Order: sequence, then structure tokens, then C-alpha cells
Amino acid sequence: MDFPDAASQPISRVEWIDAARLTANDYNPNRQPPPEHRLLKISLLEDGWTQPIVVFDDGTGALVIVDGEHRWRVVRTEPDVAKRTGGCVPIVRIVKDRAHLMMATIRHNRARGEHTVRHMAAIVRELLVSGQSPEDVGFLLQMEREEVDRLADRAGLPTRVSRVHDDFAKGWVPK
Amino acid sequence: MTRLRKKSHVDRDCYSLALERLAYVFDRYDYVTVAFSGGKDSTVCLNLCLQMATERGRLPLDVYTFDEEAIPPETVEYMARVGARPDINLRWFCLPIQHRNACSSASPYWYPWEPEDRAKWVRELPAEAITELAGFVPHQSIAAQMAAVCPASRGTVANVMGIRTQESLSRFGAIASKEGFTAFINPAAVKHGKNIYPIYDWNTEDVWLAPFKFGWDYNEAYDVMEAAGVTRHEQRCAPPFGEQPIRRLYTYKTCWPELWAKMTDRVPGAATAARYANTELYGFGVETEDLPAGMTWRDWTLAALHELQPANRKEAAGAIRVAISIHRSIVGRAEPIPDAEPHPVSGFCWKQLYLPAKIGGNKFGRIQQKITNKAIQERKRRGLPRRRITTD
Repeated sequence: MDFPDAASQPISRVEWIDAARLTANDYNPNRQPPPEHRLLKISLLEDGWTQPIVVFDDGTGALVIVDGEHRWRVVRTEPDVAKRTGGCVPIVRIVKDRAHLMMATIRHNRARGEHTVRHMAAIVRELLVSGQSPEDVGFLLQMEREEVDRLADRAGLPTRVSRVHDDFAKGWVPK
Repeated sequence: MTRLRKKSHVDRDCYSLALERLAYVFDRYDYVTVAFSGGKDSTVCLNLCLQMATERGRLPLDVYTFDEEAIPPETVEYMARVGARPDINLRWFCLPIQHRNACSSASPYWYPWEPEDRAKWVRELPAEAITELAGFVPHQSIAAQMAAVCPASRGTVANVMGIRTQESLSRFGAIASKEGFTAFINPAAVKHGKNIYPIYDWNTEDVWLAPFKFGWDYNEAYDVMEAAGVTRHEQRCAPPFGEQPIRRLYTYKTCWPELWAKMTDRVPGAATAARYANTELYGFGVETEDLPAGMTWRDWTLAALHELQPANRKEAAGAIRVAISIHRSIVGRAEPIPDAEPHPVSGFCWKQLYLPAKIGGNKFGRIQQKITNKAIQERKRRGLPRRRITTD
């Protein structure tokens, strides 16, 4: 480490511990829909553990999750994920009062950007060109076929609409 | 209450009918101008008018736009291409018009290109911008500017607009309160002019088929919205700060993140509305709201109307009146509007009419879809909830 405060950063003290020792907090506003749950599982299997779970530990009781509850749930419910790490998860500990824990949770969740449509479309097209099948792209990114198709389709709206609507409708007058 | 008439289909396609309406207008008005937003509907009006003006030797065609500042880059680029055409005389106004801001209860309006806000403008003034207009009334609506945009010195004025009845109840009401061929001619804000709705009976699909068939240029912002999964009916180009459009404000985040970042600093409440516009924080949770014991939705709606400020009450009550007229025009007076379950034929119920009373606006938006029996049956068949309530 070539900077003096490295030791004070939580990430410098990652530990592997039994997932059974962790518990969810009672305030998490984040709910994960099934497709994102599946994506998280795929991510843990494909990419492995790349970030620790953040837990609160005041030394008196359970380790309460501040960020990473959904990854923890995947380990608890998916044996093939748990098996990879012997049921352990990487954690870092932080100590704050309840108000600051809640704010830390929200910051971990909300301090992120948006994927722009144009860039996502460019990636999906590149994946398809590189030989990935639409089915694989759909599975590995947990996208519906509708999403893959929309992102991949270069045709403009007039052309897209004309595929299903090739003649003007009849007009009307109020009577 | 104005009686609303029914749609009477004619054995002509909407394209040739629109041209016939415009021929009628070009024959009778001294001066034809197109109100152009860069959106899909005004794109159709622009090209139909160009065709008519070319045939009649009335080029260049006069076109004007009130730039709403917080618009996608594709719209700006398209506007510039239109302005560069030799057969078009585009007046590109960048002036502080009053726009509704439903995002914030503290700042109910916002003003694009407001000189005082220059530091916060979301983009640079376009090179073509017109920032001074004789007779401009600052901080008023576009209607208030019509005398300045279309001065009486030019003679009788036809102000061509891409209004379609498919888009809202009030737009349907504007056409259906008249009768026959000339229903597309509407009162304007100036006595010497009329607002012309040549494509009032077009559907969204017709609006997109036209540029395909005739190879017209169009605004690629719609391709971005399409890729993002925004439904065709909800793809709009104007900044989404009004009551109805804020529900899709969040799509700006994914479609145009750079623009979005600036919009959140520009319009008070925008960031909050993007996150919560589809929740009860912005009056969207009517479906889950509990009706007070002993009251009907009709009672509750009237009570909510009573609580509104006079101006808002007038707007909301007007919208509800239009809904009642439409219900009556479909099923007659004998059957009143049901309380909580949509009428099987008209699709209306008081529970829906409660929304405008609650938010104090005149926007029904989606209810228009519900007036067709088909849509209701389809929804029932699929077992879909009427509105999607999201929890963040």
C-alpha cells in the first residue's frame, strides 16, 4: 500500500465468514424483483464474488447487513452458489448509529448511474455480432426477448410500424 | 353542456382526407402557418402542408416553433434540418413561455429560456434562435402569443396543428362537439384566425406510416424511446413536466442522461418526480386509496373538487364534465356512470373520475383508451391490473 490511510478503509479488512452469522436489517427499502435476483445469481456464478457485503458489528450480537442483502439471500437460497464458497460470504464491518446505518444503505443503493439506451443498444448489437445468440444474451443478462429485440433493431420507427400497419386507416367525421 | 357527437367512419383513408381538409384551408385563408414541435404529429402536418403549398405555388411554407429548452438532442438536430430547408421559413422562438410544472407544489410553473435563469439553461441557445418578438407577453401561454406570431396584418390565418383525438378526452371533445366535414376548424386565440386540426382522426400507426411511405425526415428521439420500451402511445417529445407526462419522466434518465442531469437542476421537483411520479406521492395511488366509510366514489370526487383552488377546480370539473358527456353519448342518459367498476360499454366509473379531482388537473390521458369496449375486454381477458403501481 503506498498511501498512509489504507488501513482505515473498510475494504482493507475483508473477511470470509459463514453466511449464517449474518442477518438482514429491519429497514431496507430495496426490494428485488425475480429477474434481478436471477441476474445476481448468474453474476455470482459467472463473475464470482467481486465485492464484500457491508455489515454493522458493534461486537454485541448478530452481524446486521447494511448493503448486500440480496447477494446474501442468493447464498442462503441457492445451493450451487453457496457451494462455491463453502457457505461463506466476504464481509467488511462498519460501526455507526442507526440513523447513519440507514443512510449508508440508501447511499450504497442509490449512488449509481443509469444505463443509457443508446449505449445498451450498442452493446447488445456488439454481443450479437460477436456470435452470442439472442437466447444467450437474454439469459446471461436476464433480458426478455422483447428487450433484446428492441435494443438490437436498427430500423427506425416508420419502418417498424410499417411491418404491421401498411395502409392508412379510414378517417371519420363527428355526426 | 355541449352534446358530443359520435365518430362516423367514412370510406376514405385518413391521409387523403387530411389533404382534402388542407386544400379547403389553402383555398380560404390568406396565410397558412404550421405550429411545429418537432414531434411526430406536427411532422405529418408539416409535410402535408408542404405538399399543398408546393402544388399551389405558396412556398416557402411558414412554420414556427416554441422551443421548450429541455428537449432531446435529436429534436434539436431535426429542428435544425427542417429550418435549413429552402422550401420552409422556420421561426424558431426561444422565449419564456409559461409551462406547467406538476413536479413541484411550490413551483407550479416553469419558463424555458427565462433570461434570469441563463446559468441553468440545459442547452445553449440554438444559432437560429429568435429571442425577441414584437408583442410577446412574457410568462404567458403559447395561446397568449398568437397575436404576435400571426399578426392581423397578414390577413386571415390558418394555424395548422397536429392535434389528434386519440390523445386525450379533451381533444376528442374539441372535435366531437362539432359536426361534419369542417369539424377540423377550431377557434383560435386570435379573431382573424382558426386552429386547423387536419389529422384529428389519425391513429399513432398512421402517423408513423406516413414518413415510411413518403420517405419524410423525422425526429430520431422516437427511435431512442422505442428502444427504451416506451409504448408508442406514450412516446412524446415535449418535456414531461405536466400532470400526465411526469409518469414517464423517469424514461428521460435512460434515454438522455446528460440532458436529464441538467433538467434536475433546471426544474424544481424534477428529480423527486422521476423517482416517485408513479406513486401516491404524486396522486397516482387512487387504485389503492381507501374510500372513507359510507361514501361513494362519486361523493368522494365531489368532495375532492370542493377542496380545490378555484382555478384548479374549474379545470378538473371541466374534464369530468367532458367524461360525463362522452359516457352519455355512448350509452345514453338512462344508465348513470357506475361507482367503482367501469361501465361495460363506456368504460367509465367515478373511481376514475376521482383522479382529476384529486390532482386538480384536466388530464385524463389513459381513460381515453378505456372508452373503447375492446380495450376493456382485452384488459379483462388478460387479467391485467388497470394501473401499474410501482414501489421503489
